[in-house]
Amino acid sequence: MDEGFIPYQQSLEDEEQSIKSTQSVIEQAIAWFRAHSMFVLAYGTGCGAIEMPPTFTSRYDIERLGVVGVATPRQADILIVSGYCSPKTLKRVIRSYEQMSEPKYIIGLGSCTINGGMYWDSYNTIKKLDDFLPVDMYVNGCMPRPEALIEGFVKLQEKIRANSSEAGYIQYRTRYAHYRANQERLFGTQVQPRYEENFAGMNL
Amino acid sequence: MMSYLEEHYELIHKTPRLFALHVTREQLLDTLHQITTHTSFDTLSQLTCTDWIEEERFELGYMLTNALRSHNLMLKCSIARDKVTMPSLALLFAQAEVMERELHEMFGIGFEGNETLYDFALEGWCDIPPMRREFDTLAYVNAHYDFREGREDNLDVKEEIKKRKAAAKSAKETPSGA
Amino acid sequence: MLLLDLLLMLLIAYGFGFLYYGLYRNLSARVHGRFGPSLAQSFSDSIKLFVKEESTTFGWMFYLGPVIMASGAVLNVLFIPFLNQGESLQGLSSYGNLIVVLYLMVLGPLGNALGVGSSGNPFGVMGVTRGLTRLLALELPFYLAAIGVMIDAGSADFGIIMQAQSTQSNMFAHPLLFAAAFISFLGFMGKSPFDVVGAPQEVYSGPATEFSGKFLALLMSQSAMFSFAKLLLMVNLFWGGADHLGELVAKTFVLFVAATFIGSVYARFSTVQSVEFLIRIPTLLGIVGLALL
Repeated sequence: MDEGFIPYQQSLEDEEQSIKSTQSVIEQAIAWFRAHSMFVLAYGTGCGAIEMPPTFTSRYDIERLGVVGVATPRQADILIVSGYCSPKTLKRVIRSYEQMSEPKYIIGLGSCTINGGMYWDSYNTIKKLDDFLPVDMYVNGCMPRPEALIEGFVKLQEKIRANSSEAGYIQYRTRYAHYRANQERLFGTQVQPRYEENFAGMNL
Repeated sequence: MMSYLEEHYELIHKTPRLFALHVTREQLLDTLHQITTHTSFDTLSQLTCTDWIEEERFELGYMLTNALRSHNLMLKCSIARDKVTMPSLALLFAQAEVMERELHEMFGIGFEGNETLYDFALEGWCDIPPMRREFDTLAYVNAHYDFREGREDNLDVKEEIKKRKAAAKSAKETPSGA
Repeated sequence: MLLLDLLLMLLIAYGFGFLYYGLYRNLSARVHGRFGPSLAQSFSDSIKLFVKEESTTFGWMFYLGPVIMASGAVLNVLFIPFLNQGESLQGLSSYGNLIVVLYLMVLGPLGNALGVGSSGNPFGVMGVTRGLTRLLALELPFYLAAIGVMIDAGSADFGIIMQAQSTQSNMFAHPLLFAAAFISFLGFMGKSPFDVVGAPQEVYSGPATEFSGKFLALLMSQSAMFSFAKLLLMVNLFWGGADHLGELVAKTFVLFVAATFIGSVYARFSTVQSVEFLIRIPTLLGIVGLALL
C-alpha cells in the first residue's frame, strides 16, 4: 500500500470529484451547511471529557469550524463518547443518542472506545463501541489532545459533505436488529425500550 | 486523647500518625461509640475491606480521623467469609451508608440496618461480587465482551522485545569480536 | 406594491438580523482572544436546522408557541418604518403607531410562555418565568422613555416623532430618557448583564430546551428579526431615523456594537438583581427625564 502525503491527497481529491458527480447542487449545498454547523451534545462519559473543554477555549477555538455545545440532545447533531464506557453509562448514552434528531453522528474519542484501551480486561467497561452504536469517526489516543479532536472534526466534516448512505444514523435504522441484539446481550434483563417504540403513535 | 486509648485498648502504633486496634464484630459498635465520645476521633473517613482468602476471612478497616485531620485510627475487624453480615453504622455516621453500599456491591457483605443495599455502580449484576478474589476477571470479560481483532501486522510484544534485545546484543558483540 | 415593500422589509430584517448575530459571535470571540466563527455561521445554523427533522411533540400548543413568537417579530418589523422619508420601506407604519409596536413587543414572550408551558420541561418553564419577571422590570423604564418622546413630539406617530428630531436628535435633547431606554434596550436584546432567560450554566437552554429542528430554526430567525426591530425602534425614537438604507445600516451597526461590547464585559445579574437594578436606576432616570420635559 502506498503511503505518504501525495497519494493521500490524491484520494481526498478523488472523493471530492465523486461527490460532485453524484449529488445535485441543492444536496451539495445542504451538506455544506450541515458540515459547517455542528452542535455537540455537552456530555462526557469518561476521562476524555477533560480534553473537551480546552477544545472550546481561546487556545484551540473549535467554534471556528462551527462547533457549538448544546445542552439538550434534541438540538444536538454530534455525540462525543469520550473515553471508557461502563454498561451503566452506555444505557444513558444510547438513550441520549436515540433522542437526537437525524442527521446525527457519533465521534468515539480515545482508545477505550476502540478496543477497551487500558481497560481491556476490566469487568465493567465495554470494549467495542461500534457493537452497540454506529460510530462515524474514531479519534485514537489516551488521551487524544485537542488538536487530535479538531482533526477528527475536520475528517467528520468531509464525511458529512460526502453525504453517503454509510452514515451512522442510516445504519442504525437499517441494521437496528444487529445493534439491538448486542445491547440486549450486554444489558440482560435491564434493557431500554425499543427505538421504534419511542416513536409509536406519533405522527411526525 | 491518646492516653484514653492507651488505657482502655491495645493500641498498635503503625506510624507516628496512624494507630490501629483490633475489635471483634460484637465489640465494634460499642467501641466506636466509646471512642467518638471520649476522644477527638469523630469522623469516619474510609471503610475498607481486604479479602484474606487463604485464611477464609474478610478484614474490614474502619478509618477514623480526628478533628484536626492530623491523626488516623483504624479499627480492624475480621469476619468469616461465609457468614458475611455486619451491623450498619448508618445511625452513627451518615456517610457510612454509601460506603457500606459499595462494599455490599463489591464484596457481597451484608449490613444489617442499611436500607440502601441495592445496585450502585454495577446495574443488574448477577455474577459473584467482582472484588472477591475467587472472581476471575479475565474469564468474565471473555464471556461477556467481544475483543477487537488486532491489526494484520500486529506482533507479540514480549517476543518482539526479546528478539530486538538479542539483535542489539549481537550487534554490539560483533564489532568488539572483530 | 405594498406587498413587495413588506417582503423587502422582511428580507432586510432577516438578512441583517443574522449578519448582526454572526457579528456578535465574532466580536465577542475577539474580546475573548479567539478568532471565532465566520459571519455566515448563523445562516449555516439556521439552514441546517430547517432541513433537520424534529423529534418531539407535546400537542398543537407546543407548535403554536414559536409561531406566535415569529408573528410578533414579523409584525414588529412591519409596523416600524425603516426610513424617515419617501414612500418605500414604510411598511404598515401609516396604519399603526408607537403604542401598537409597544404592545406587539410583549406578544412574543407570551407566545413563548404558552408553547413552553405545554412541554412541561422544568428548565423551559424556569426560563420563561425568569423572562416574564425580567420583562415586567424592562417595560417600566422603556415605557417612561417612550412616553417622554411622545409628549415631546406631540404624537405617537413614527413619522412625526422622527420629523421633530430634524434639528436635534432626542438623544441630545433628552439624554436622561435616552439613558433609561438604552439600559432597558440592553435587557431586551438579551445581552449580559441581563441574559437571565437562557443562562446556560443555570437553566441549560432555557425556553428553547425542548425545541428541535424547524422550530428551533424558527425561534432563531424570529429572535434575529426581533433584535433588528429593536435596533430600528431605538434609531427611530432617539437618533431621528435614517434618510437612506446606508445611514440605517450605519446607525443600527453602531448601536449593535455598543450593546455587544457592553454585553461582552459584564457578568450576569441574577434574576432578582436584574429586576432590582432595572426598577431602581433606569426607572429613576426615566422619571427625572420626564419631569425635566
